[in-house]
Amino acid sequence: MGKFLLAFLVFFPFAAALAGYLTGRRSKAGRDALVQASCLLELLAALGLAGSLGASFSWEGFCGLGLHFAADGFRLTMAVLTAFIWLLTTISSKEYFAAAHNRNRYYLFLLMTLGSTMGIFLSSDLYTTFVFFEVMSFTSWVMVAQEETPDAKKASGTYLGVAVLGGLVTLMGLFLLYSRTGTLEMSALTGLAAQTADKGPLYAAGVLILVGFGVKAGMYPLHIWLPDSYVAAPAPATALLSAVLSKAGVFGILAVSCNIFLHDAPWGDLILVLAVLTMVTGAVLAVFSANLKRTLACSSMSQIGFILVGVAMQCLLGEENALAVGGSMLHLLNHSLIKTALFMAAGVVFLNLGTFDLNRLRGFGRKKPLLMFVFLMGILGVTGVPLWNGYVSKTLIHESIVEYIAAAGLSAGQAAYYRWVEWLFLISGGLTVAYMTKIFVALFVEKNPTEQQRYDGMKRYVSRPTAVVLAVSAAILPVLGMTPGLTMDSIAGLCRGFMNGEAPAHAVEYFSLTNLKGAAISIAIGAAVYLLLVRPLLMKKQPDGSWAYLDRWPRWLNLEYGLYRPVLLKILPFLGALAARFACSLVDWAVAGLRALLFWKAPEKVEPPTDDYFGVYPERPHPHTISNSLAYSLLLFGIGLSITLLYLLFC
Amino acid sequence: MTENAALLLPILFPVLAGLVVFGLHRPKSREIYVSAVLVLGALSAFWLCFQPDSHFTIWQLTDNISLALRIDGFGRFFVCLTSVIWVLVGVYAFEYIRHEGRDERFFAFYVMTFGVLMGVGFAGNLITLYLFYEFMTLITVPLVIHTGTKEAVAAGMKYLGYSVFGAGLALLGFFFLSPSLKTMDFVPGGVLDPAKTAGREPLLLVVFLLIMVGFGCKAGMMPLQAWLPTAHPVAPAPASGVLSGIITKAGVLAIVRVTYYIYGADFIRGTWVQYTMLTLTLCTVFAGSMLAYKEKLLKKRLAWSSVSQVSYVLFGLMLLTPAGFLGALLQIVFHAVAKNILFLCAGAIIYKTHKTYTYELAGMGKKMPVVMWCFALASLSLIGIPPTAGFVSKWYLAMGALTPELGAWGVVGAAVLLVSALLTAGYLLPVVAEGFFPGKDFDFAKLKKSEPGPGMTVPLILLAAAAVLLGMFPGPLSAFIQSLCGSLL
Repeated sequence: MGKFLLAFLVFFPFAAALAGYLTGRRSKAGRDALVQASCLLELLAALGLAGSLGASFSWEGFCGLGLHFAADGFRLTMAVLTAFIWLLTTISSKEYFAAAHNRNRYYLFLLMTLGSTMGIFLSSDLYTTFVFFEVMSFTSWVMVAQEETPDAKKASGTYLGVAVLGGLVTLMGLFLLYSRTGTLEMSALTGLAAQTADKGPLYAAGVLILVGFGVKAGMYPLHIWLPDSYVAAPAPATALLSAVLSKAGVFGILAVSCNIFLHDAPWGDLILVLAVLTMVTGAVLAVFSANLKRTLACSSMSQIGFILVGVAMQCLLGEENALAVGGSMLHLLNHSLIKTALFMAAGVVFLNLGTFDLNRLRGFGRKKPLLMFVFLMGILGVTGVPLWNGYVSKTLIHESIVEYIAAAGLSAGQAAYYRWVEWLFLISGGLTVAYMTKIFVALFVEKNPTEQQRYDGMKRYVSRPTAVVLAVSAAILPVLGMTPGLTMDSIAGLCRGFMNGEAPAHAVEYFSLTNLKGAAISIAIGAAVYLLLVRPLLMKKQPDGSWAYLDRWPRWLNLEYGLYRPVLLKILPFLGALAARFACSLVDWAVAGLRALLFWKAPEKVEPPTDDYFGVYPERPHPHTISNSLAYSLLLFGIGLSITLLYLLFC
Repeated sequence: MTENAALLLPILFPVLAGLVVFGLHRPKSREIYVSAVLVLGALSAFWLCFQPDSHFTIWQLTDNISLALRIDGFGRFFVCLTSVIWVLVGVYAFEYIRHEGRDERFFAFYVMTFGVLMGVGFAGNLITLYLFYEFMTLITVPLVIHTGTKEAVAAGMKYLGYSVFGAGLALLGFFFLSPSLKTMDFVPGGVLDPAKTAGREPLLLVVFLLIMVGFGCKAGMMPLQAWLPTAHPVAPAPASGVLSGIITKAGVLAIVRVTYYIYGADFIRGTWVQYTMLTLTLCTVFAGSMLAYKEKLLKKRLAWSSVSQVSYVLFGLMLLTPAGFLGALLQIVFHAVAKNILFLCAGAIIYKTHKTYTYELAGMGKKMPVVMWCFALASLSLIGIPPTAGFVSKWYLAMGALTPELGAWGVVGAAVLLVSALLTAGYLLPVVAEGFFPGKDFDFAKLKKSEPGPGMTVPLILLAAAAVLLGMFPGPLSAFIQSLCGSLL
C-alpha cells in the first residue's frame, strides 16, 4: 500500500494534468472540476501515507540511476502540506483566472508542478530530488510567465535563467559527490563529512549542490529572481511559489546539511552567514517596497533566511540541536501556511483593483471584516506575536542561538560574533513587524484620498469558495499558535528523524518570561522602525494633504541589473565569443591565405593596346568556384603525397 | 566466421534502387517507391543486425588489402540508428521537398546515401571504411547544394574541400600505420603488432592525431570544423537534419574504429595524444555552443550546436573509460534524435511561414503547436534536462570524466560540459519562450493555425517521443552498449 501511495502521489498529478488538458479543450467547467478533484484526491492520498510510514518505492533504471522514494514523518508532513496548499490555491484559481487567456495551459503546468514537487519531497536520494527539481523549475516557469505582460516575460526569463544556471551548478556538485561516493542515497550519505579525512572536495561538492537549491529557496546572493517573479506571477501561483516551491529548495539544503554535513560546524558557519544575509536583505527590501506583493515576496525571502538560520544552528549545535531542528521545521511549516493565506488575500485585492500599489489600494480593506481577519492572522503569525504560530518557531530558533552562545568552548570573539547574529535575528524580526504594519495600516487604517467611497461600496469582492478557502487558511494559524505543545511539538517530533536530530531533553516552555522577552524586543524594534523610519522617511505629504508611500530604494543598487546581467549576458559572452571566433577562424584564414597564394597572379585587367593590329583581348573569365576548390583540394592532396614521398625516402 | 553474401543487400539495393528514382516524375508513385525502398532497405539492415557476427570479402586486392564487410556490435549500433532516422526523415521530406523542387534528384541521392551509409556501418577493415567514407562525401554533396543557389554551391564546395582534405589526412595516416598492423581488419582491442611497434610509438601517436583530425573533420571537431556551420544550414531541412544527426556520426564511427579497433585504448591511454584530443574536443564543445549562442539565423545556430554536441561524443570516446564510452554512444543516439527534430522543426517553420531568424518566431507556438512542442522537448534533451534523453548521456559522460586517473582533466571536462549546457539553454530556450509566450498584446484574432500535414508532424512526434522515452528508460540501450564496451575497454 505504501509503495502504491508513493507512486500515486508522484505520478498521478502528471496523468491528471494531461486528462485535465484534454478535458479543457471540450469543457472549461469539466476541467476545473477535474483539477480540483485531483488535488483533493492527492490530499487524501497524502494523508493516507500516514498509515504506511517507513515504506519505500523505487523505480530502477529510470533516467539511468533510477528513482527512489521513501515515506517518513518529515516527507509525510511536506506531502500533506503541499497537497493541502495546492487544493486551497486551486480552488481560488477558478475565480482568479475567470477572465484569463491560456487557462488550459495554466492548469496543465499547475498539476505537473504538483507532481514534481511531490517527487522532490518524497525523494530518498539526491538523484531523484534533482530530476524532479529540474522538472519543477520548468513547469513552474510557465506559471510565472502565465500573464505574458512585458514584466512577466522579463521576470520569467530571469526565473528560468537562474533556475537553469543553479540546476547545472548543482549537477556539477552531484557529479563530484557521486564520483567520490558511488551513491546519492540520503541515508547512506549521513555523517559523510565526519568520516572523510580530506574534506576539501566534499565542501566543494556541497557548495555547488547548495547553489541550485539556494536559488529556489531565494538565498542571498541568488535571490535576484525572487521579488520580480513573485510579483509577476498570478497570485495563486505566487502563493505556491512562496509556500511550497521555495521549500523544495529548503528541502534540498536540509538534505545536504542534515546528512552529508551532519553536525559539521564549518558548514554550519557558511550557511549561517548566507542565512543572516538573506534574512536581513529580505527584511530591508520589504520595508522599502511600496507594493503589496513585493513586500510579501521580500518577506518570504527574509523568512526563508530565518529557516536557514535554524538549519545552520543544527549543524553548529551538533548533538544538542533539538531546538534548532524543531525551530527550522516549524518555521518552514508556519511560513508556508502564513504565506498561502497572505498571497491569496493579496490576490483578492488585485482581482478587485488591478494593482498592488500601496498608494492606490489604500483603504480598500476598510469595512471588509473577512479580508481584515485573513491579513491580521497572517501578519500576527509572521511577526511572531505570542499565541500565533510564528512565535513558536521563531522562539525555538532564537533559543537555539542563545543556547549556542552559552555553550562551552566558544572564545570571547566567537561569542561576540554569535551575539551579533542574535541581534540581527531580533532586528529582522523587528523589520518584519515594521513592514507588516505598513501593509496593514495602508489597507485597513488609512483612507483612500480619492476612491474611498467606491471601495467602501465593494461588498461582493470575493466569491464564496475563495472566501471559505481564505478563512480556513487564516484560521489555522492561531489554532496552531495557541496549542504549541499539542500540535506543533508533535509535528516537530514527527519530522526529527529526517534531520537526524535528537529529542529535546525537556518540553519547551513557550510562554515563559525569557521566551516572551525575545518577541517583545522584536515588536519594540518594529514599532520604533515603523514610527521613526517608515513614516518619516518612506512617506511624503502630497499637495492634497494626504500621505503617499515612496519607493526610495536606489535604482542602481540592484544585484541583477548592476552585476549579474552585465557580467553574464554582456562581458562573459563577449570574451567567450571573441576567443571562440578566433579559434574557429584559424583554418579559414589559412585556407584564404592559401587560395590567395594559389590564384596569385598579375592584375587581370589587360589594357587594350592602342595599336589596331593587335586583337582586343577579353578579360579572362574569373575562375569558377568549382575549379578553385578542386584546385585547392588537389593542392592539398599533392602536399599530402609529397610528405609521404619524403618520409619513404628519408625514414 | 561465416561468409555471408547477404551483407551486400542493404548496400547495393538502395544504391541501385536510388538510380531509378531519377525517372519517377509522378509524385505519388515516387513517394510510394521511395518509402518502399527505404523500408525494405531498413528491414534488410535490421534483419542482418539480428544475424550472428559474420563476414564477407568482396574483393581481395593483395594479400593484406581487401574490401570486406562484417557485422559486429558497433556496426549494428550505427546501422540501426541510421535506418530508423533515415526512414522517418524520408517520410518528412516528401512534403517538404515539394516547395524546393527537383524532387527526383533529391530522393535519388537521399536513397543512395542510405546504401552508402550501410556500407560505412558494415565496413570490415580500414580500406573498405575509407572507400565508403569518400563515397559518402561525394554522394551527399548534391544534397547540400540541392537549392542550387550560389551560396549553396559555394558551401557545397567548401564541404567537399574540407571533407576530402580530412579523409586525405586519414589516408596519409593509414600509410604510416599499416606497417605496424597485424591485419587491417577491425578487432576489438586493436590490431597493433607489438613486435613491429616497438620503438615507433612516438610516430604512431602522431599518426593517431593525424587520423583523428582527419576523421574529426566530418564530426565537426576543431580545427577542421569550419565547413559544418556553412554547409548544414544551406541544405534543405531534411538534409540538414541527417547531415547533422547521422553523417557527422560517420566521422565518429571512423574515430571509434581507429581508436578502439585498430589502436586499442591501452595504447592511447595516458599519452599526450589523449590529452591533446581532450583539449581539442573540449575547445570545440565550448566554441560551438558559444557561437551558436551568438548566431541569429536559426538553422546556422543549430549547425553550430552540432559542432558542440558531436564533440561531446568525441570527448567521451577519448576519455577511454567505460562510463565515458557509454555516455558517448548514448550521446550519438540522443543527439541524432534531438538534432533531427530541431532541424525538421526549423524546416517546418520555413516551409509554412518562411521565417528563418530566431527573433522572428514570436507566437510560433500558437501557430504550430505540435511543431513547437517537439522543438521544446528536443531543446530540453539537447540541454540535458531530466528526464529527457540528453541528461542521461551527460551524466555518464561526466562520470566517465571524473575518474581518479584523469584528475583535474576530468573536473575541467565536466565543468566545460555544463558551461556548454548553459549556453545551449541560452540559445534554445529563448526561441521556445518567444514561441509560446508571444506577449499580452498577441492578437489571437489574427492567429492562423499553420500546422504542417501529418507527413511532417508524425515523424516529428515519433522522434520527440523517443527523445523523452529514451531518457526515461535508457536501460536496454545502455545494456547493449555496455556489452560492446566489455570487449573494448
